[in-house]
Order: sequence, then structure tokens, then C-alpha cells
Amino acid sequence: MSQTFLLEPDIIAATENVMPDLNNDLVLAKNFLKQQSAATGDSLYDHLVDIVQKILSQKPPDVVDNFEQYSWAVKQEKFRPNFDLLNDIYLAPPQLAVVRRVDEMFRLVQSKATKLDNIGEEEQELDLEEDNEKPRIQDLVDHNYYFKEGGYGLPDRECYAVYISMIMLGIKEPVSTVRFFGKIFGTKANYYVAETDLTIEELDRRIREFEMKDMPGEGEGMEETGQVRPDEHGEMLGEGEAHVPVSKEPVPPKLPPEPVSTWTAPIPIPVERPGSGINKKVYWVCNRPGEQWVCLPDITPDHIRVARLSVRCMTGELDTEVITFPPFDGSERHYLRAQIARIAAATSISPQGFFTFGSGEEEEDLDLEEGGGDMEFNPNPYYQGHTLKDLLDSNLTYWVHHGRHILKQGRTLWWNPNAGMDEALEEEEDEGPPPVEPEVGPSLFSPLSEDARIEGLPAWSTRVSSTLCPDRALVVIRSNTWPGAVAYATTGKKSECMYVGWGLKFQPPNFSPLQLPWPKDEYPIGPEVMEMADPTFADEEAYRIAHLPPVPPPDLLGEGEGYGEEMEEEDE
Amino acid sequence: MNVHKLWEYKEYINVNGVMLTSELISILQNSLTLLQVENHFTHIQYWGQIYAVDVDYHIAVGITTDALSDRKYFYTTDFKFWGMLPKPKKKYKQLSLITSFPFRGDPALKIKVLDESMDEANLDRCKIMKEESRLSATISNICEESEICARGQLLKQPSGTIVINPNFYGLTGPEAKQLKSFLHIRVPHHRWNTNLLTRADYNYSMDFLDSIDQDIPGGCWNLSVEQGGGLVYLKSLYWPGMMYFHKVRTPEAGFLYIGNGRKNLDVPFLL
Repeated sequence: MSQTFLLEPDIIAATENVMPDLNNDLVLAKNFLKQQSAATGDSLYDHLVDIVQKILSQKPPDVVDNFEQYSWAVKQEKFRPNFDLLNDIYLAPPQLAVVRRVDEMFRLVQSKATKLDNIGEEEQELDLEEDNEKPRIQDLVDHNYYFKEGGYGLPDRECYAVYISMIMLGIKEPVSTVRFFGKIFGTKANYYVAETDLTIEELDRRIREFEMKDMPGEGEGMEETGQVRPDEHGEMLGEGEAHVPVSKEPVPPKLPPEPVSTWTAPIPIPVERPGSGINKKVYWVCNRPGEQWVCLPDITPDHIRVARLSVRCMTGELDTEVITFPPFDGSERHYLRAQIARIAAATSISPQGFFTFGSGEEEEDLDLEEGGGDMEFNPNPYYQGHTLKDLLDSNLTYWVHHGRHILKQGRTLWWNPNAGMDEALEEEEDEGPPPVEPEVGPSLFSPLSEDARIEGLPAWSTRVSSTLCPDRALVVIRSNTWPGAVAYATTGKKSECMYVGWGLKFQPPNFSPLQLPWPKDEYPIGPEVMEMADPTFADEEAYRIAHLPPVPPPDLLGEGEGYGEEMEEEDE
Repeated sequence: MNVHKLWEYKEYINVNGVMLTSELISILQNSLTLLQVENHFTHIQYWGQIYAVDVDYHIAVGITTDALSDRKYFYTTDFKFWGMLPKPKKKYKQLSLITSFPFRGDPALKIKVLDESMDEANLDRCKIMKEESRLSATISNICEESEICARGQLLKQPSGTIVINPNFYGLTGPEAKQLKSFLHIRVPHHRWNTNLLTRADYNYSMDFLDSIDQDIPGGCWNLSVEQGGGLVYLKSLYWPGMMYFHKVRTPEAGFLYIGNGRKNLDVPFLL
């Protein structure tokens, strides 16, 4: 509630001056405006002063259209608490956390750079050796420039930070090459992915570790399967014993034999050792440039198989559980690694002739029939680039894959399941495992024109970066199967590919989860378990008559009646 | 996003690794300014791209008076001629969700959309749709479900017209981290008082739109904060390729869609 409080001199003035007077009216009006609201203690006069002051100081355009909002903003400002008065807390800018992390990285890289400089000045010979050991780091800034020309790439600030953190990776970890693979979005955080080759020593160490782990691992697997079977037999025997005494006393029902599970686990497809096949490259991820790079583990063919059958978003936390229906053996780091392997296999592309088998320096005998196998390939020193027209050609014959195709087995090299089976299961020879056709994927450096189309959409689309100045133009090619995968090639010698996306494959029309398999038959189908129609009264009657004890005196009439009855039954 | 600010926004655009090239921005600014003058638009916005097989479509939005109901969509493939998109029909909106063919880049092309059973002879099952209608329907679907603005970016005036707030100062840091500070740019589906009363600090002129935190399933919007809290990105999992950015405490904000125009129906599996 508000009340009119007039100041005393004003009341006197109001009563004294009966005649209309301008000053008097002004005073009255001003007093009215100065009434304090009981609820807030504010007065309209002060409010108007504030608004006018705000408008005049800020001079926004078209105030009259948004006057209400202005008034509202002024009121809102009045109720902002002033923290500084309470205690002198310094609120750090929110960027501080980022800065701390990046600063640490910069220091590390800088110290390394200066150290290298010093060595270079002091000992020339050592420097040469150092140079050999120094990891080769992809010039991301340069490549990103070309990507940006083509309309893709990372923003500048992100790109530089990633580049520095790639150098940090080269300093901290035993890697010989570093390449930026791309960025994978997650629901909580994003992953930056670096693709590396390990140094020879580290690779040897890992292979040794892998073999150490693998050998006993296989033994364990055998033991487990060996253990399971006696258990099953034991259970069966036990149950049989239990049945015997029970069945003695009442009428012994003739039970069909207890069903035995005939299902045997398929032999696990062997994992490809570090440094070969799907585990050829080692991938490192971090959520933000400057953070510690985390090495992703090697994966098994089973991971690839399950990843192909499911869709899932990354969360951004490597230890999240992956819940899919064929169950996924591992956490998100395995899933991420499997998706990266799939993306790398499908979208590593380059213009024809950009890479070559062997060192490229000399002609070598090549076994192309093996589909490239696990052969090394290197940048071709004689690559001269293609013309814009060739690269843009929608038949895509001038673009080739340099990622090894992952077979349905989940390996890049086909593994013969029968070779292992013959040794392991010699007893079951009579089954005779059918000879398996070796699975052959497209060979390395096969052109993109052989890629499968998705519903009338070619797997790749090419675009030219510039129509205004064809001299500067380069060709960008984007994948339609893995949205986010792009590659560029200039008419010169530059080409690179990158992936920035959700790590999801485009699967029209949409994903349908794997159906559960049909339940197996528990019992062999026989008359005991088959369903059949109950006999009708007529059937029973016929049966009874057929099994009647032989009537001693055959009567003509009776026979006739009987015959008639049978006829009736048949009619029914 | 505002065509005249594309140079400033260039650094913030990041949809699945896509950036706008300098050439594209120059061309867009030229041709869209001309378009704005021809049609007397008060605002003109670059809406995004729809990938097609031969050439990609570029889409622009012109606004004259009402920012919600008075939008006109234009498309082009060569930046010389901007064609106005027809009003989306409900029939085509449904069909464009069903069809799985890619866009071809030819607006006059007629495509057959088959219902689940492939029966070309049956007229009820097989519909024919021009690519132009499909484009307009797809865009209208995307706008309906994923075109958003920050709270306060659009204002409802006492007269009922909805205008782009010229005095929008941006959201504060904590506000920008909440999904309910972002609103759908569409005719609200919920009742007006539902939208109003979900907030404690409701404001009649701002809270007249549906907020995105009520979308189903929870988690279909991905909010990411970058640059130490200075920049907020919103992505819709339903429409991969959609992006909205907002720079905290500044009026800088923009919506962009660059993708193939297909709705991702697998969202419940992704989460």
C-alpha cells in the first residue's frame, strides 16, 4: 500500500495558494512521483531518473520500441548483490583452467625446443642423431590452411593448440610419427585423436608383451573349455542319480533324456598383433588440447564385429561402460578405438599415386595379388599431382584408398578358421568343417569408384573450393558413408584426410538392432513332445469297437447294425 | 545467422568440421544483400546448406516484420538466382521424412516416394514429389525441431508481433549452461502458461516460446561449452549438421545447418 506523504512546507503551500500556480503543480506532481512503494521502498521518480540516465548514457537506437524492457533491465540491476562489499574475493576469469593447462604444455614444448637448439649449436654430430630420433610430426597448421580453403578444418585457435599438443605427444611418448586423425564429438566432451607409429623399441616391447600375454591366454581358453565339459557331464550324472530313487516309488514316468546343449562357442578369431592389421597405428586421445594424451588399447576382431552391429554416441569419458546388444567386451576406450579403426579403414584416401608400395625409390617386385597384404607403403617421391578436372571427376577413379579394408572377420588379413580347427578338434573329424572361401576385400590402393553406393548416393562427393579463381582452387572430397570425413588434394603435391564428426556411420533408412536368435529346440522332436489333436468321441468309439473281445455267436442283424454304425461314424 | 556478420562469425562456425570459406562468405554477402534490397527485408539470415549429389543447395531466410510467422525461405545453387521456396505442405513434410533418396540438386526433379510396400502402381502408396517441395518440407521440418534462439533474442511485443530483440545482451555464464535458456523458433506447441510458468523469473515478452529442455528424449540436445565458458554450442542429435552458437554476454549468436537433410532416427539408440 502506498500513502501520500506531503512534506510540510508543501502542504502549507498547497493550502495557502488557492490560485493555480505552475510551481505549485510541479511540486505536487513531483511529490506524487516520489511516493515510496511500501513493498520495495522504491519510488517512480528515482526509477525514471535511472532509466533516463541509462538511456542517455548508453544511447541505444529506437528506445521507444523497447522502453518496457529498458525499465525492466534497470529494475533488475538494482537487485544485483554486491559481493565486493561482503568480502574481498577475487573471482578468477573462467578461462583460467584452460590457460593453466595450455601454459604447462607450452613450457614443456618450449624447453624442449631450446634444448634442441643448444644441442644443435654445441654438437653437430649428435644433432644429426637426434634428428633421426625426433618424431615426424604432421604439419597440421599447413594442412588446416588447405582444409579451410576447401571449407573444412578446425578453427585457428583450436588448430594451433592441437598442433602444439601433438608436439608434446612426440616429446612425451615413444612415437616416431604423429598425424592428426580428427575430432570425435561426445555428449559430454569431445575427443581429439592423434594417429601415431611407435618407435621400433616400443613396438618390439609391445609385441613381446602381446606374445607373452597371448600364449598363456590361449592356454587358459583351452582350459576353460576343457573345464566346462567335465562340469556339464558331472551335472548330468548327478541329476541322473537323483532321478533314480525318486522314480522307483511312484509310477516311473518315461522321461525323455535331459537335453544337452550342443552350442559351442565359436573359436575366437585371433587378435592382430601390435603393429599390424587393425592395430597397425596407435591412437592417442585427449579431451582438450593440452591435456595428457591417453593411449587407446589395441582391439580384437570381436570389438569390430560388435561395433558394426551397434550405434552409440561417445560420451567423452573413456571408462564409460558400453551397453549394446551383442555385448561389447570393453569400455568406451575400446569402442572408440574400434570406431576409429573402422573410420580409418573406410576414409583414408589419397589421389592415385600419392602413396606407393615399398620405399618408392626403386622398382620392387610386388605381390599385388595378395591384396597389398600387410605391406608397407610410403609417400611417392615421383608423385606429380593430378589436374583439377581429374580429381573432380565424379567417377572417382583418381582417388584411391590407402586404408586397409577390414574384412567381415574383423581383421585386415584373412585368417583361416579351419587351420586352427583341424588341430584343436581332431575328434570331431566326421563333422568335416566346410572349406571356407578366403575372404578377400578390395586391395590396397583400389579406386573409390568401387565403393558401394548408398541408396543411389555415391559414397563420396567431390567439390571444388573456388569457382572465382581456378588457379587457387583445390578439390575437397567428402564421405557420405561417414559424415564428417573429408580429404583435400591440391593440383600440386598436397593431400590429407581428416575426420570431424560423431563417429557414426550413415545407415539409411535407419538402424535396427540385432534380433535375438530363435530359441533352440530343447528336445528332439518326437511323438512324446509333439502336440496332436485329442481323439474325439467317434475315434474312441471306433477304437473300442475295433478292440472288442471277439463275439462268439456272430449274428447277422448285429453285423448289419455294426456296419451301419461304422458308416455313420465315417459320415460324421 | 546474420549475413552481415558472417566475417565475425566465421571463427565460431564448426559443424562436423565444416567452415565457411572466404569466397563463400564474400559471395553470400553480395548476393544476399541484393536479395534483401529487392525484397525489402529488415533482416536476412544465412540458414545453411543442404547437400545434394550434383550441387549443394544454399538456403537463406528473409524477415520483414514478424520474426516468427513472416519468414521467407530462399534457395540457390549458383548464388545468381535465389528462388523462393513454396509454403511447406503437411503431406510433403511427412513424405520427406520417409524418403531415403538423396537430394540431386535439381529443384524441378520429380521423385517417387514409396510407402513401405514397394508398389508403384498403387497411387495411394506411391506419391510423387518435386524436389523443390521436398526441400521446403525438409527445411520446415528442421526449423520446427531444431531452429533455436537464446532466451531474449526474440521478443513478443504487446501488439503480438514478434521481433528480433535489438538490445539483446546475451545470456550470462550460468544461464548459458542450461538448456532451458534456449527456445524453439516455432509457433509454440505448449500452452502459453506452461511455457511461462516453467521459469521462476518469467517474462511475458520472452517466455512465449517452447524451451528445448522439454524435448524428448532428454539428451537429444548436446550442449558444449568451449573457450573456458565463453562460447556455447548446441547441437541436435536428431539433425546432425545443425549448430547453434552463442557467445556468452554478447549479442553474438547464430544458427546454421549444413547436412544432407536427413533426420537421424537412431537417437534413442545413441544415448
